[in-house]
Amino acid sequence: MADRPGARERVPRIVVRMSTFTGFLRSSSDERLGALLARRPDLASPSPGNVTSLAVRATGRASLERALASVDAVVLQVLEAAVVLDGATSTRLQDAVAGGPHDEVARAVDDALALALLYPDTDASDDHAAGTAASAAGGARLRVAPGLGDLLDAHPAGLAVEVAGPPEPVTLPSDDEPLAAPARAVLDALMWGPPVGLAPAPGSTAGDAVALLVARGLLVRGSGRHVLLPASVALALRGGRTHREVAAPPDLTGSPLRAPATVAAESASAGERCARLVARLLRAWEHEPPGVLRAGGLAVRELRRTAQLLEVDEGEAAFVVELAFAAGLLAQDDDEPATFVPTVELDSWRGLDLPTRWVALASAWLATTRTPWLVGSRDERGSLIAALDPELSRPWAPRLRAAVLGVLARVPGRAPSAHEVVGALGWATPRSVPPLTAVESVLTEAARVGVLGAGALSEAGRALLPRAPGPATGAATGTERTIAAHDPDAAAEAFAQGLSPEVGDLLLQGDLTGIVPGRPSPELEALIDRAATVESRGGAITVRFTPDSVRRALDEGLTADDLLDTLASFGRGPVPQGLEYLVRDAARRHGRLRAGAASSYLRADDPALLAGLAEDPRLAELGLLQLAPTVLAAQASTHEVVEALRAHGLAPVAETPDGQVLHLERTVRRARRRGSRRAFAPVASRQVDTAALVRRLRASDEPGDARRPASRSGTSDEQVTSDAQVTSDAHTRAAAGDDATLVGPTSSAADATGTATTGSSARSWAGSGTADPVDALALLREAAAERANVWVELVGPTGRPERRLLRPLRVEGGRLRAADPVRESELTVAVHRIGAVERADEPVDQAADQDQEDM
Amino acid sequence: MTGPLIVQSDKTLLLEIDHDQADACRRAIAPFAELERAPEHVHTYRLTPLGLWNARAAGHDAEQVVDVLLEYSRYPVPHALLVDVAETMARYGRLQLVQDPVHGLVLHALDPAVLAEVMKSKRTAGLLGTRLDATDVVVHPSERGHLKQVLLKLGWPAEDLAGYVDGEAHPITLEEDGWAMRPYQQQAVEGFWHGGSGVVVLPCGAGKTIVGAGAMAKSSTTTLILVTNTVSARQWRDELVRRTSLTEDEIGEYSGARKEIRPVTIATYQVLTTKRKGVYTHLELLDARDWGLVLYDEVHLLPAPIFRMTADLQARRRLGLTATLVREDGREDEVFSLIGPKRFDAPWKDIEAQGYIAPAECIEVRLTLPDSDRMAYATAEPEEKYRLAATASGKNRVVERLVAQHEGEPTLVIGQYLDQLHELAEHIGADLITGETTVRERQRLFDAFRSGEITKLVVSKVANFSIDLPEASVAIQVSGSFGSRQEEAQRLGRIMRPKASGRTAHFYTVVARDTVDQDFAAHRQRFLAEQGYAYTIKDAEDLGVA
Repeated sequence: MADRPGARERVPRIVVRMSTFTGFLRSSSDERLGALLARRPDLASPSPGNVTSLAVRATGRASLERALASVDAVVLQVLEAAVVLDGATSTRLQDAVAGGPHDEVARAVDDALALALLYPDTDASDDHAAGTAASAAGGARLRVAPGLGDLLDAHPAGLAVEVAGPPEPVTLPSDDEPLAAPARAVLDALMWGPPVGLAPAPGSTAGDAVALLVARGLLVRGSGRHVLLPASVALALRGGRTHREVAAPPDLTGSPLRAPATVAAESASAGERCARLVARLLRAWEHEPPGVLRAGGLAVRELRRTAQLLEVDEGEAAFVVELAFAAGLLAQDDDEPATFVPTVELDSWRGLDLPTRWVALASAWLATTRTPWLVGSRDERGSLIAALDPELSRPWAPRLRAAVLGVLARVPGRAPSAHEVVGALGWATPRSVPPLTAVESVLTEAARVGVLGAGALSEAGRALLPRAPGPATGAATGTERTIAAHDPDAAAEAFAQGLSPEVGDLLLQGDLTGIVPGRPSPELEALIDRAATVESRGGAITVRFTPDSVRRALDEGLTADDLLDTLASFGRGPVPQGLEYLVRDAARRHGRLRAGAASSYLRADDPALLAGLAEDPRLAELGLLQLAPTVLAAQASTHEVVEALRAHGLAPVAETPDGQVLHLERTVRRARRRGSRRAFAPVASRQVDTAALVRRLRASDEPGDARRPASRSGTSDEQVTSDAQVTSDAHTRAAAGDDATLVGPTSSAADATGTATTGSSARSWAGSGTADPVDALALLREAAAERANVWVELVGPTGRPERRLLRPLRVEGGRLRAADPVRESELTVAVHRIGAVERADEPVDQAADQDQEDM
Repeated sequence: MTGPLIVQSDKTLLLEIDHDQADACRRAIAPFAELERAPEHVHTYRLTPLGLWNARAAGHDAEQVVDVLLEYSRYPVPHALLVDVAETMARYGRLQLVQDPVHGLVLHALDPAVLAEVMKSKRTAGLLGTRLDATDVVVHPSERGHLKQVLLKLGWPAEDLAGYVDGEAHPITLEEDGWAMRPYQQQAVEGFWHGGSGVVVLPCGAGKTIVGAGAMAKSSTTTLILVTNTVSARQWRDELVRRTSLTEDEIGEYSGARKEIRPVTIATYQVLTTKRKGVYTHLELLDARDWGLVLYDEVHLLPAPIFRMTADLQARRRLGLTATLVREDGREDEVFSLIGPKRFDAPWKDIEAQGYIAPAECIEVRLTLPDSDRMAYATAEPEEKYRLAATASGKNRVVERLVAQHEGEPTLVIGQYLDQLHELAEHIGADLITGETTVRERQRLFDAFRSGEITKLVVSKVANFSIDLPEASVAIQVSGSFGSRQEEAQRLGRIMRPKASGRTAHFYTVVARDTVDQDFAAHRQRFLAEQGYAYTIKDAEDLGVA
């Protein structure tokens, strides 16, 4: 250990050396700066004014956190070592982390420099410069970026850097001393951290050993009975190492290897299926668009129907719906009520060939911030999350996908499990490891969309991955491959290669089935869609012809001959007799029943009479049509027909559906009276209601804190009064539902006055008062957060409601803890004893002041 | 384009039969895949857990299965399917039934967790005895079959290593004078004997009795043969006397009429399932001798009580024979678990191609009902509709016309409803055999039919099974048991014995158009259509019937 950290000062370790850091940035080449901005995009946007402001931004806590979240475990080790060994050279850092020159650590040092997490302190003169070739800054003294130390562990690398050690060099108790063995045991226990221990009781052997170590300065007493092992001592014990070993990425080469052909084929067949499901979904929704829930999103019932339509489970149905949405093929329209309808993009998407359609879907999936896997789970409020719910966006979703697929991209052809992926991310980005469920969901979705095949990243999927910023990490895996840049054309090509060959053959068989021994050509697909039922899909398609499926084709306007000709053109050999018979038989039965629209009919026992009427040009406007010798249908209504025939000198009577004679009278019109079923509700108050409701909604809609006095200052007295009236009115109704039972006689008056006098602030709350238990709890929580006072109606032991002004402190476990500013006491009540809650006054700052003044 | 096989992710295998390698592929996949459909261009096989376990039982392992799929597949095989095959096959044999020198029959687990899971299941309650250690538990010998059945349902099929009792030896040899076992019959016997117990599936008329005789000769022990009815029992006896060294005295009949127990005893299902005062009175037959072989004819008809009895016979070799292992009650699984897996199966068209069964032409004749009948049909109660349509009087003229077309050829008219059959018999001037006809009268008519003395017979469903009419070459069915695929195949079987003249047999179904009769006919035809019999549909009008 020639290169001891002798120069380390034992002064506060975070020394802000902004000037040198700024100097480093300023002196960096344009290329380096460009690379820095590319790898830390938050530094570039909004664009910093000058290098100083760039330096300030680069040392900001948020930016450093982001940068740290993107580095791998080795870089993190280097940074820890650099914090401990402030001003060490790259060589020294390699010694500390790896015990000697180490390429991976040198790479990590370079990475940290490139990210400006480390910088060379050019001010400090350097006479230790024993450069290795590994690093450009091999000889320079390196320091961590200002502020970075605070973000790392309090004891970086398990070293208590904050306490001063004994004078150098550290001398350990020699073996012949008494207590040497127990002292050594204590040191060994603390050596690799955590460096804090609880001192044993004095008098015991261990206690004496600790006392000895403290006396020698090898341990330092901390708070209470804690003792700390100073970093310099620990380093000496560790032989100058900050880390036992270089963090190695988990080995994924043990995960199963898939044949490239299998990966391509399964990716293609999944992608084909996905595109087919999206197309089928939109085909259904363009005719019958589902409604949008009031809170946004798709009703559970609609999702279930969609799942049935697509013949998939609800999870996958949600995925398909979300994918269509992410790809911009589906949107919410502006109609009232709103529905989800396909967009105009659908028409151009449909016209594309399959690989291009797939690329559109897969790219949209990679880029979307939507998180379909959360559909069906419950949010923090306990309500079910719907598909297409606007809340389902998570800005981190694309990064998560890129991270997960990045792991797979580094082990081509292999299908690691979600656990293995999480393990790999634990090394690649130890500061931001996604939870297992999220990784599982991403892998499931990737398999569904066809970016994966048989669990491994397909070539097509690889071509769609976002361009990885900077050099791909993971040299240690030994299977490094430069991740291809985002290239949709290459992706489409790779995808097309995985598809089974397009065929135009349909093998028709005597058992009324047909087989397409590959992927059907578009014409064949259209035929199958129209005239057959698919029994099995995969590399080939098995279809069955049934009377129903043939009828479907006939319904679309094909004739039996058309259909048979088309079938023969795709078949090898003639159409089997059974199938031909089926088609002809279906055609024979097709259209035997005819349906049409008529408004009324005429019937008579005398065919000659009816024939005369049907032919009569004067009755042409009735639209009479002879259906049978004794029946005419008319386009005109019964009334018009009867009138016209009477005018014609005939004597028709109208009849009821069961044949009774009906005496037609002239239509008498009445308006339906508009009004409420509750006649006792005064009309005036109802009108005020709606107006006030709208105003309240507007008020609560405004963002920001509840006080916002300025915006309310212009409110006229009249409005205040009406508001008060309304709120109390609303309160009464809300509290009572349809009948006033909950709010006792004590409350109404106080209620009205209370709200009226407290003025503007009362109106800024979502609801001024409530007896609904859920709303009440929300109101209490809100008040606790805002430190506002509320009127709480408590039901006492006698069952008598009591109204008290309280300041909620915490609501949890079914209990409310609140301060009573009037009685200057605190109380805890069970939530079920709270009858009603109502906003009382301004938030507590002023309220407290007032209280004080009152006293 | 390479490879004749397309492996679908829904576990169906599509085999293109015009491909050069089709035959090799068929042979390779036959041990583990069930043939589902065999129409003219593409045969459909299916991978089922049962099929895969049977393959394991027959000594194939997952690696071989996967290799076969990969070798013959035209497109990349879905990965999930390969994993599933391996996992399914790995479940077989984790539990073994073994004979322990001390404790007798023991269920031994190679994986203690599996045993724990199985023992926890409610279904095994009462079947397992004392637990010996972590991997062994005693099984009551009489529950051997039942337990195997339950384990199959639980998805952990046991490998039965407990062996069979030898039974009482009784010399039986085949007397191949002037005839010889056909190659596929020999394969069937070998397949069965090698596997210990199991089911042999051969088309009607392909000589299942010979396979039974072959198995008996191989076993050379006392044998219990269970058949569907008395006529069938007598045919078995005659056939055995003709084909083997057995004499009439060695063969006993155990039926309603006679109760003989001899070294080879032929019993009917009916007599075994007869109950008196809630007790099966004839069960002693099963223990009457130390049978070395139990043979089930028409195993697809095995009545449920016999299932339970079979469970008690697990230590004896069992052979099931059938033409069509489709049970409308869906109990094929129980047949497999109690008798044993399928040991041999030959598609009908294969045997036909080899010339051992007559080529047959299946024709559906559609009859348009007169308006009066259609009106009656349209307004009939739903439960009456089939009968009304099936017994439409117009069918008489069609049958008359068909009989006339095939004048001189031995012709059977088969139906379900007695009124209709009486009417038909009168109409075409033929004798009628129903359940009421005495055995003696039946035999007389059959003999006359066989000798060519009479060429037309009208039969009810009693003749569905095991009547041996060598020269019937035309069958006309006018009505049946609704949509039974089974019955359809058996009826076709009546005319499939090879004809001396080598001529094609004709199988007609007369159906009333646009009625449930037509729908049921479509369902009935599915089995045969899947076996490759393409039905031709003709209009009655085209036959010259007004």
